[in-house]
Amino acid sequence: MSDQTNGDPLARLGTDAETGETMIELQELTKRFPGQETPAVDRLSLSIPKGEIVVFVGPSGCGKTTSLKMINRIIEPSSGHIIIDGEDVTDIDPNHLRRRIGYVIQQIGLFPHIRIAENVATVPHLLGWDKDRTRERVDELLDVVGLPPEQYRERFPKELSGGQRQRVGGARALAADPPVLLMDEPFGAIAPITRTRLQNEFLRLQTELQKTICFVTHDIDEAIKMGDRIAILQEGSRVAQFATPEEILTHPANDFVEDFVGTGATLKRLKLTRVKEVEPTEALTGRVDEDRETLRQRFDASDWTAMLLLDRENKPLRWLRGPDLRQQDRPLEKAGVRTRALVEPQATLSDALEEMLLGAAGVAIVVDRRGAYRGLLDIDAIITSIQTMKDAQAEYYRAAKLADPEDEVPA
Amino acid sequence: MSTSLTPPDSSDRVVPTDAERRQTARDEDAAGVRRARRASLVRYLGMPLFLALVLLGLFLWVGTQELDSIEARTLTAENLLGQTRQHITLTLYSTFFVLLLAVPLGILATRPRLRRYAPVIIGLGNAGQAIPSLGLLALLFYLFRTQPALPSTGPFPVVVSLVGYSFLPILRNTMVGLDQVDRFVLEAGKGMGMSNRKVLRSIELPLAVPVVLAGVRTALVLNVGTAALAFLFGGGGLGETIFAGFQLRRTPVLITGAILVAVLALLVDYLAGLIEEKLTPKGL
Repeated sequence: MSDQTNGDPLARLGTDAETGETMIELQELTKRFPGQETPAVDRLSLSIPKGEIVVFVGPSGCGKTTSLKMINRIIEPSSGHIIIDGEDVTDIDPNHLRRRIGYVIQQIGLFPHIRIAENVATVPHLLGWDKDRTRERVDELLDVVGLPPEQYRERFPKELSGGQRQRVGGARALAADPPVLLMDEPFGAIAPITRTRLQNEFLRLQTELQKTICFVTHDIDEAIKMGDRIAILQEGSRVAQFATPEEILTHPANDFVEDFVGTGATLKRLKLTRVKEVEPTEALTGRVDEDRETLRQRFDASDWTAMLLLDRENKPLRWLRGPDLRQQDRPLEKAGVRTRALVEPQATLSDALEEMLLGAAGVAIVVDRRGAYRGLLDIDAIITSIQTMKDAQAEYYRAAKLADPEDEVPA
Repeated sequence: MSTSLTPPDSSDRVVPTDAERRQTARDEDAAGVRRARRASLVRYLGMPLFLALVLLGLFLWVGTQELDSIEARTLTAENLLGQTRQHITLTLYSTFFVLLLAVPLGILATRPRLRRYAPVIIGLGNAGQAIPSLGLLALLFYLFRTQPALPSTGPFPVVVSLVGYSFLPILRNTMVGLDQVDRFVLEAGKGMGMSNRKVLRSIELPLAVPVVLAGVRTALVLNVGTAALAFLFGGGGLGETIFAGFQLRRTPVLITGAILVAVLALLVDYLAGLIEEKLTPKGL
C-alpha cells in the first residue's frame, strides 16, 4: 500500500511488478454443496500477491463469501488446492491453519461473555503465549485500533458501539500477527459515517502492516476504495475481471463488469485518489494563544475573508471573520463559526467532495490523525486532480501494456 | 447547522460550568447507587422475609387451634422436620441425576452429526411437560409393583420417577440453550482456530448457561411439587402429612403440609434464582 502515497498510477504499477511474490494461490478451487446442481464455486484460480488487498466483489449469490471461507477452510473445498506462502494447506489440520490467518466477519462475532482483553487474546491463548506477552500484545493492539486499553480492556462487548466492536474484531484478528487476513464484509453492518472512518483507518494501518488481505464486499465503491486489486466475480465465482481499480473503471473487460461497475465511473475515480496525494493550499491561520490584535493585523494585511483559528494543539477550532476579530467581548474560542468538513489524508477525494458539499463551504480542512491542521483542500484542487487523472490514464495504459503483455482479461 | 460566518447565539445562553456539571453527575450517580442498593436489598431479602412471615403465621394459627390427639401426634416438630428433610433429599437426588443424564444428552443431540434429530427430541420434550405427574407416577407405581426385580417401596422408585418426569424439560432446555448461541460467534471461534471441543467448552456452554439453568430451576420446582406424591411409594416427604390430613379430615394437618410444600418450592426457586444469577456470565 505504500505505493499509494504517490498519486501517480505508474508508480503503483511499478511496485506491483517488483513484489511479484504470491502469498495465496487458489488452484481450481471448487465447492459443491450437497443437493445442489451447480457448484457454488466453480474452479476458481487466483493468485493473491503478498502485501496487497484483493477484493472479491460481485452480486449476491455469486459465491464470493464461499470462496473466501474456503481459504481458511471454514467451508471445506470439494476439490482444488489452496497454497499459502508456498505451502499446500488443503489437507493440514484446519485449526492450526486458522491460527495463522486473521478472520474478520460482518457480524463480528465477539464472545459476549468475556471481556474485551480476553476476546483479543483468543489466538494468543490458543497458541499458548505466556501472560505477560499476551497482555502486552492486547494493550498494543487496542491502542492500534484506537481504543485506549485502560478504558476498554475490562469492558464487555455489549458495552461497546458497533464501530468499536468491529475495531475489537480487527484487533482480535491481528492478535498473533498473522501474515494473511480474511475479511468478509467487515464494514457491512456499520453506520455510513463510522464506516468511512473505519475504512480510512484500516487503510492507514495497512500501509504499516503490509498484510495480505482478502476482502469480500458486494459494494463496488468499497471495492474501488479498499482494493489494490479487484476480482469481479460472476455466478459460480467465475472471475469476470481481475485487475487494479483503475483498469476496471477505465477498461471493463466485458459487459458484466461494465454493468456491475455501473454509471458514474468518473465520479468513482475520485475514490482512487487520496487527499494526501493532492497538494493542500495554505489557509490564513491564527492560534488561540496569540494576541487578538496580532491576529487582526494579520487578517487585515491578507486578502482572506476568513481566518482559521487553531487551538494549542493546532486543531482547527473556528472560522473567524473581520467583525469577530474586532469584537472584544466574546472569547475567540466562541467567536465565528465552528469548523466543518474535516478530512484525513487517508480519505479519498470523493469523501472530501462529499464533506465540502455537506459543509456548503467549498473547502475542506485537511487534518492529520490527531486532528491537527495540515492544510486546505478546495474544490478547484479536485477539478484539477480529475483532469490530471484523465491525462495520466492514457499514459498509464501504454505503460501497463508494455509491462504486462498477458493482461488478465478472460477470453 | 448554519454555514454563514456569523456567530451562533448558543454561546450567549447560561451554560453550567464543567465543575457544576461534574457535581450534578456525581450526585446523580450517588442517587442511582443508593436506589440500586435498595432495590437489590428488596430483591435478595424480600422472598426469605415473606416465607418466614408465612411460616410464623402458620405457627401462630396452628397454636390457636384446639388439636385433638391425632393432630397433635402428626404435627410434631420432629415429624415435620424429618419429612421436610426427606422431601429435600428426594428433590436434590432426582435433580442431580437428571442433570447428570439430560445435560450430556442435550449436548450430544446438538452436535452436527445428530443435529437433524434435534427437532424430534425438542418436540418430545415439549410433549413430556404436558404429561400429568400423577399419571406418570401411577404408571411407574404399577410398573415397580408388578416387576419383582424392582424395589416397590422406598426412595429408589421415587427418584427414578422424578428423574423421568423432569428429564425432558431439562433435555429440551439444554438443547434450546445451545441452539440459541449466535452462530457467528461460533464461526468466529472456529475461524480463529478453536477446536470443536474448545468451542463447546469456552463458548457454547457458558452462553447456554442461562437457558439451561432456567430449565434446572423449573425442574427443581416441579420436583418439589411432585415429590409430594412420594408417599405413594412409601418414600416419605411432606406428602404424608398432606395425605394424612386429607384422609383423616384434619384441616390443620392438611393445611400445614400444603403450606410447607409451597414454602419449600418457593424457597428452592429463590435459591436456584440466586445460583442462576451467580453462574450467568457477566457480559450477557
